[in-house]
Amino acid sequence: MIRTFFIYLLILFVGILFFGSMILFAIPAIQESTFVLPKMKEAQIGADEVGTTRESLEKEINKLQVKLEKYTPTEAYIVINSNDNHFYLYKNKQLIRDGLCSTGKNERLVSADSTKEFIFHTPLGVRKVLGKQKNPVWAKPNWAFIEEGLPIPPPGHASRFESGTLGAYKLTLGDGYMIHGTIYKRFMGLNVTHGCIRMGDEDLEVVYNTMSVGSKVYIY
Amino acid sequence: MKENSAEDFDSLFVRKKYSGLKIFVIIFCVILLVFTAVYTYLSVSAVRDRMKLSQTQTEGAAPVSPSLIDLMKEKAWVESRLKMASGDSIGLTIDLEEHLLQLELKGVVVMSTKIRDYATSGFFKRMDGNVYFTMFGSPLTILSFESTIEKNPLKVVMAPKTAEEAEAAVAVKDSLPKENVFWTVKLDREFELNIQGIDSISEAQENYKLGKGFEFKRDLKNIFNSFKHIVQFKKPTYTPEILIAIPENEAKAILRALPRNASVTIRI
Repeated sequence: MIRTFFIYLLILFVGILFFGSMILFAIPAIQESTFVLPKMKEAQIGADEVGTTRESLEKEINKLQVKLEKYTPTEAYIVINSNDNHFYLYKNKQLIRDGLCSTGKNERLVSADSTKEFIFHTPLGVRKVLGKQKNPVWAKPNWAFIEEGLPIPPPGHASRFESGTLGAYKLTLGDGYMIHGTIYKRFMGLNVTHGCIRMGDEDLEVVYNTMSVGSKVYIY
Repeated sequence: MKENSAEDFDSLFVRKKYSGLKIFVIIFCVILLVFTAVYTYLSVSAVRDRMKLSQTQTEGAAPVSPSLIDLMKEKAWVESRLKMASGDSIGLTIDLEEHLLQLELKGVVVMSTKIRDYATSGFFKRMDGNVYFTMFGSPLTILSFESTIEKNPLKVVMAPKTAEEAEAAVAVKDSLPKENVFWTVKLDREFELNIQGIDSISEAQENYKLGKGFEFKRDLKNIFNSFKHIVQFKKPTYTPEILIAIPENEAKAILRALPRNASVTIRI
């Protein structure tokens, strides 16, 4: 008698299992399988009737391809991956160097008195090199003092200027963003900057010598 | 002899005792079968309706010659990328023919990754030329993102009050947690694009089976929604999907690079 009871229970269980697997796996698979879906009607007409030919289409495609390829600069440009902190330097559409860099730490700094806020993020998109400089001196902005818990000095004060911090070269990108060197080489490959792009000494030298004012910087 | 008589007696008792259970089991199984059949019928007809709707939307369009369709697809692909190049923001191009997924910025390919695996809904396999060009003939626009990781993480930090406090705050680097990267976007032509970051296919399958994945939860949510419709004898809503698997790091980089309403160009 117990056996009969368990047979009924088993049938019930198998039924529920069948239903569950149909709902979870079989029906979605049936829904997506092409054999239950009708094939949409293809037009059975020749190329001439459409008024175009294979050759003319191929010509059009070639023209469009040329137009698209013109968007890629032949002169030097650099691509920055801000997620992996990696740069790719191109010249004549060929990759000539790649390596680690550091980009923005994606942080919002709130001053101790909560009156000021600064966002440290490398902006994505395309920029141009606006200027180049050897042995740059860093003019420390207000956030550099706030971050260190120091009082903000007046503009032009001697404590605002630091040599060596930006490395041997800088390439300015506008809005205060730059490509420069660093004394914190152990952080290379990490999101640690205030928005600028930091590079190692050798990479920076190649980038500085390859890129000119007007060269494009693609950041994603 | 004695045992046999006891069994006979028991079997008479059982027949009476479990006849109610037997009827319940039969009725329950019949209900399940009927419901499964209705569910299957309504689910399939939802796809057929979607196909019909797409075809009615292309009515009156010049017919596409099957002999030229590949070239026309190629032309639509390049034209669509050109349109994207005229914009200022980062766009996504997906070439299922070449198994390539790329980020493009002003016409320049800034990132390219090989697609590890992909799956498309039956809808895409059955569409004709006109429906194809309506769907993929020009850049699509992303309407919304949903993801397992934060799209634009921003940490808020309070500045130290004094130099001593700043020195005391030792820079502790966060260890990188193992993240399950899966993101899905709704596109303006009523279909979804799902990107899964996969470094190990077996691990991803295991996560799905164990219900750990976002994908599993999303599928359950969809089934629940369909179920609600079917209980009311309504057709469930059907959204065609493209599921693409790429390396995890790239899936994360693309998610973070794409603007909220980014353009997408697809070639199937």
